[in-house]
Amino acid sequence: MEQIGYTGSQQNLDAVFAALSDPTRREILERLAQGNASVNEIAAPFKMSQPAISKHLKVLERAGLIERDIDKQRRPARLKADNLAVAVEWLHEFKAFWGASFDALDNVLIEMKQATENAKTKE
Amino acid sequence: MSDLPEYILDRVFDAPREMVWRAWTDPEMLARWYGPGVETIIHKFDLEPGGTWLNEMKWGDNSMLSKAVFTEVTPPERLVWHHHSSTDADWNSVPNPKMPDWPRILLTTVTFTEEGAGTKVRLSWAPFEASDAEIACFEGAVANMGKGWESGYAIIDEILAELQA
Repeated sequence: MEQIGYTGSQQNLDAVFAALSDPTRREILERLAQGNASVNEIAAPFKMSQPAISKHLKVLERAGLIERDIDKQRRPARLKADNLAVAVEWLHEFKAFWGASFDALDNVLIEMKQATENAKTKE
Repeated sequence: MSDLPEYILDRVFDAPREMVWRAWTDPEMLARWYGPGVETIIHKFDLEPGGTWLNEMKWGDNSMLSKAVFTEVTPPERLVWHHHSSTDADWNSVPNPKMPDWPRILLTTVTFTEEGAGTKVRLSWAPFEASDAEIACFEGAVANMGKGWESGYAIIDEILAELQA
């Protein structure tokens, strides 16, 4: 079922992360970042059958991370960058949350230490 | 089962452990650093096993509510809670509006270890009582954040450069 708008794209993001959880699929994406490739070309470096690779390609396709040419015999796969970029944005926010919070914690601790020092000098 | 995906963040703070513990467990201090660039309002903070931390983050017209239920409080070493990353106005756990398969509950473990004059803080997040979809979603996110995928970042850099071109 094709969904449009906000909900559709959000559900895609889930699929993107699920798709990215597998190391083989991440390697396939790396391969495709260097250029379009057919199943045979993608399968070559892996100790995996072509059907197994095709299965991974289907997952990536459903997640909207790649698209494949329907007309041609070779059906070369192509990386679709926008969904990956959305996923990266989410990760960035997540990492930034703790990173920036910890930076702020550093500052709070500096103030706490100064307050302790000041209290000591007054004694 | 111990092979659940886990997100770990380590950081050494230049302060004694008791002080770092206080910065995490005194709500007044906590509100000052938790949530960067937003206003953090702590509606309730009951620091004991079974107690809750009801948190609101506000920016502009936006507000995001989350709930923590403490399961272990061992000063000044260890703090464990169930993190409900999104709740409704009545503090009931709801799916993340941005990402429905994000785990509803993350088991959050924070340990405080003395390291020289400083304190090493380790934050760990793991899905709790999660569905397969939630585990896959979190695993995907963690795999992408973890150390093991530098080349992945390289791809993304390439792609982002392309998108901006």
